[in-house]
Amino acid sequence: MTEEKLENLEKLVSEKFPDLPREREIDSLVIRVEPKQLIETMSQLRDGPGLNFTLMIDLAGVHYPKRDKPLEVVYQLLSVKKNQRIRVKVSVDEGAAVPSITSIWSCANWYEREAYDMLGIMFSNHPDLRRILNEYEFDGHPLRKDFPLSGKIEMKYDEKLRRVVRVPVDMSKSKREPFKRSRREPYQQSH
Amino acid sequence: MEEPKEFQNYTINFGPQHPAAHGVLRLLLELDGEVVERADPHIGLLHRGTEKLLEHKTYLQGVPYFDRLDYMSMMSEEHTWVLAVEKLLGIEAPPRAQYIRVIYAELTRILNHLLFLGAHGLDVGAMTMFIYTFREREVVFDLYEEVCGARMHAAYFRPGGVGKDFPEGHAEKIRAFIDDFPSKIDEYEVLLTNNRIWKQRLVDVGVVSEAQALDWGFVGPMLRGSGVAFDLRKAEPYDAYAKIDFDIPVGKNGDSYDRYLVRVEELRQSCRIIQQCLEQMEPGPVKHENFKLSVPKQEDQENKMESLILHFKHFSQGFEVPEGEVYLATESPKGEFGVYIVSKGGSKPYRVKIRPAGYNHLQAAKEMLPGLMLTDVTTIIGSIDIVFGEIDR
Repeated sequence: MTEEKLENLEKLVSEKFPDLPREREIDSLVIRVEPKQLIETMSQLRDGPGLNFTLMIDLAGVHYPKRDKPLEVVYQLLSVKKNQRIRVKVSVDEGAAVPSITSIWSCANWYEREAYDMLGIMFSNHPDLRRILNEYEFDGHPLRKDFPLSGKIEMKYDEKLRRVVRVPVDMSKSKREPFKRSRREPYQQSH
Repeated sequence: MEEPKEFQNYTINFGPQHPAAHGVLRLLLELDGEVVERADPHIGLLHRGTEKLLEHKTYLQGVPYFDRLDYMSMMSEEHTWVLAVEKLLGIEAPPRAQYIRVIYAELTRILNHLLFLGAHGLDVGAMTMFIYTFREREVVFDLYEEVCGARMHAAYFRPGGVGKDFPEGHAEKIRAFIDDFPSKIDEYEVLLTNNRIWKQRLVDVGVVSEAQALDWGFVGPMLRGSGVAFDLRKAEPYDAYAKIDFDIPVGKNGDSYDRYLVRVEELRQSCRIIQQCLEQMEPGPVKHENFKLSVPKQEDQENKMESLILHFKHFSQGFEVPEGEVYLATESPKGEFGVYIVSKGGSKPYRVKIRPAGYNHLQAAKEMLPGLMLTDVTTIIGSIDIVFGEIDR
């Protein structure tokens, strides 16, 4: 977004939401919202004159293990009419829930499922909060910073049991016998 | 006297092995006779943990992962990533590199839409389309191969430019293809646009109103098919798009047929864009001149100690990116494809969120399918043009 547009948007947002903290990230405007104000703010952002953020583009969860409120949900909103974007952030504690915005944009459904699946962020009033990308029996939330890259459980076929079993991930290399260097026979002089 | 029989609704699994499921879609359909009562798409069968992997790779190593997201529009995906990294770094690619990237983004759009046409035709019953479009796809793949060595997963765009300049005579080959291609589009249109069966299968199937499209978060040709003229190439011009003149096709009724027409027109517009790029571009560097961010020149590596060190560090440690966060989206063939990068300094991102273009479109299938016939399911799945690489990530 151009600088001029950003100024206008910031002015508009500061009039609408005077008590919300605002930030500037590289050419975009960020507002921080408390979970209980979220629904109210979001519906105003969608319908408010001059704002018109009719499209919920993206919802990302981020895990900051060292913060007081370690989980953050980042919404990207886009206004097709005004051609402007805004970023909304909500921070929550472990186990606390973020109100679901599926009542405002129905496309938020899968994004919230994904944030729950990958980071364990809970959403209240969500119609169908299941896992989405991982299998339904998956244990843990892979995008958390304490989740190992190689995972915890792996599946493989057990020859004896004749079925697929889940076992802890074993990344150690199998013991391979290197090629034994054939010792060259000493040269024997023929008689 | 015959006893009255009771019929129950029954549930079928459409996919994950169905040829019209475009990959690994598992669609649970509850049917009443042939009418769909409820549809529930299950995704995640192609989940590879790209976002987690990217946190453990340098910014340069991240590029090839983007080829493999939407494996039908490879370079468009890279484009988003390199632009986002460039924005974090606060640099801009040199003009020639910008034109090259636009040319290849548009060639990729042609690739993607050709697959859409072919596969959509095949789903609906026009087998010939698949063979026709793959004939032209082959030419574009040859261009890909010539410019970067790989036919599909190119890794050609780099933060700060592109991997290499065009080889000798490459621009002429692109020009020859582009001059010839509109006649090929006419061929497709002769086959499909006024075809009675094609129209019966597509017209008024999967109608999406403007309000629905916005509520369901549609982007790209799906949104334009419903009558919203929004294209990121115009709205937020990136690279050389600002200097180029082209039109945005818009649909009227928001049905599958309109979306088909929008995509066919986009093919023609892509030709226009590439033609203008080839006319406007001039010789010059194709990499950013700060060699801490791009690979030093070959002759410098052979003669200068510092260049050799930079080359080594570029590929082992990677370049440092300042702290900050950025969301950047480009108009990929399927719609707005975005990345949200959180950087805490260093050469690897802290968190990357990929916003796939087809995610919402598939999600909306849940709302679009009920009430339609089973045969229309393939039409809609074809018309929303999904690829599971990007949806499952």
